[in-house]
Amino acid sequence: MKQIGSVQADDNILHIVWNGDLLAATPVTGEILVLDLVTRNVSGHPGHGLGNGDSAWFGGRLATCGFDGRVRWEGRELHAGRGMIERVKASGDGKRLAAGQGKSLLVFDGQGNPAHGLAGLPAAVADFAWNGSSRVAVVGAGGARMWKLGEESAFARFDWGGASLRVEWSSCGRWLATADQTASVHIYDFTRDYPLHIQGFDSKVRAMAFSADGRKLATGGAPVVTIWPCTGKKGPEGVTPVQLDGHDGDVSAAAFSPADGKLATGDGTGGILIFTFEGDRVLRKRLRLDSGISALAWHTEKDWLGVGMEDGTVSVLSLDA
Amino acid sequence: MDRTPVTILTGFLGAGKTTLLNRILTEEHGLRIAVIENEYGEVGIDHELVINADEEIFEMNNGCICCTVRGDLIRILGNLMKRREKFDLILIETTGLADPGPVVQTFFADDEMKEKLFVNAVVTLVDTKHVLLHLDDSSEAREQIAFADVILLNKCDLVEPADLDALELRIRSMNALARIHRTTNAEIEIPKVLDVGGFNLDHAMEVDPHFLDGHHHHHHKDDVSSVGIEAAGDCDGKKLNDWLSKVIREQGADIFRMKGVFAIGGQPDRIIFQGVHMIMDAANGGPWGKRPRHNRLVFIGRNLDRAALNAGFRNCLA
Repeated sequence: MKQIGSVQADDNILHIVWNGDLLAATPVTGEILVLDLVTRNVSGHPGHGLGNGDSAWFGGRLATCGFDGRVRWEGRELHAGRGMIERVKASGDGKRLAAGQGKSLLVFDGQGNPAHGLAGLPAAVADFAWNGSSRVAVVGAGGARMWKLGEESAFARFDWGGASLRVEWSSCGRWLATADQTASVHIYDFTRDYPLHIQGFDSKVRAMAFSADGRKLATGGAPVVTIWPCTGKKGPEGVTPVQLDGHDGDVSAAAFSPADGKLATGDGTGGILIFTFEGDRVLRKRLRLDSGISALAWHTEKDWLGVGMEDGTVSVLSLDA
Repeated sequence: MDRTPVTILTGFLGAGKTTLLNRILTEEHGLRIAVIENEYGEVGIDHELVINADEEIFEMNNGCICCTVRGDLIRILGNLMKRREKFDLILIETTGLADPGPVVQTFFADDEMKEKLFVNAVVTLVDTKHVLLHLDDSSEAREQIAFADVILLNKCDLVEPADLDALELRIRSMNALARIHRTTNAEIEIPKVLDVGGFNLDHAMEVDPHFLDGHHHHHHKDDVSSVGIEAAGDCDGKKLNDWLSKVIREQGADIFRMKGVFAIGGQPDRIIFQGVHMIMDAANGGPWGKRPRHNRLVFIGRNLDRAALNAGFRNCLA
């Protein structure tokens, strides 16, 4: 393992995201930084006042959002409204950008123009996830609703009495997973229109990621990482999940490598575990950094792991070195 | 880990919340304060965060039928607590029409919030000139009073003293635990609203003794009221636990606040207890010392059955 790049932000790193060899790092407050691993240049984008939201690459440019109610992209302000914006995400095919604000999902086309957004949703948007360029799942109080943009009503909904805070949609489109306000996870199977509510976690689930092929879901909150098999007719239903221990603190971030399927998980004590899956065997490699891990993201093609930390440090580790 | 105190400002529209907020922020107290509001104020504030005007209320779905939290608050506070720059105090100004329950419960029902923050006080401003228009019609107005640790009877210059006395008596009957101050233009010594420790178990039972004797009189029948219970001697710990569990299971939705100090048989120390709706919290309150072993308990809630609560508690005496 070798550190091949690093940058220091002004605050705890909230989110990191790759675009080729560019790594964008969004701290909780302050300038959003882009580290170019080829030229070693670091560029800055203005922060969003008292709180930044996540950032996203859209059309090769960085989109940012925050508690000031603004979405910025390409040096332009796409939206300036009232109320915090915590997430901005581009669709997998890169054709649309969306941001959640209150009970609206703002959607923009490739030119940054408004395009088929959702307004007057039944609950505020806690999180959302794309599938393709036109399908989007929105979660919040009351569960999840799935929309095809441009249509009047949701094409699917999974209701429950509590609230969901985070959502991931597997790339294959079959599975939707939510991390909830209570210490639970919902996994929805679109092929069966079947919701699985998994309770009994030691704490709220803070980290959640699908593998690139959608066959594994990793969840973490307490020091244990759980791998749910999302294969076969019933997926995780009735199957004992794989429990991976080794963290000294609560798991705060998880990411599968799109290149080779490795799983990286990080905890609040600075520990990182890299899990490699070989048939039924799981190999574990341990790394330790100087600050709590707050964000992890793999390069899409290389064996590079981007690591965001609570002290504002962002490191890029080469795992094959 | 030191937890950051949170003060919640409530009160009906026009009661003077913003005036008090501006007083707090301009006072030379040396505190670094973060302010969370529903709307941007007219006066620019350094550390002002604005949540969406639509209240985002999450049902917890954890077995408590009345357990709700504010999802937007959890997220905005979660972000705030991640910052490297820390605050001495967080002030939350609710909208005039807000039910304070979900705001308060956020700090008791969500584990992350409980770990990092604590409610120092719910401060409710009352527009003494117009409150009577709201008290009869608005459950939110009554609940803002019921949840309060501090009540400012504001705009006193606009009301005759006799009317103020009557109003204070009525409010006292609704909430026996709150400290009540009379103000004009929300003028008050800031420590009286910031240095409260209303949810601090050490201060759990600073109750007007006169209230507990049950001889207060008022002529207005509110659905929100306080029931105080007092008894010398020791309680049977198991009976008390069973009874309190039953009360909150059956009436938790209607109980806004409860506080108590108990003498439990076999326990040398005071046991201090407080609750919000169906969430209870108990702690060791230290030795009785020279004080007589004496139980005191107060419920603030809707449609409370004074006789049944008294009888239920007395069955718990050893």
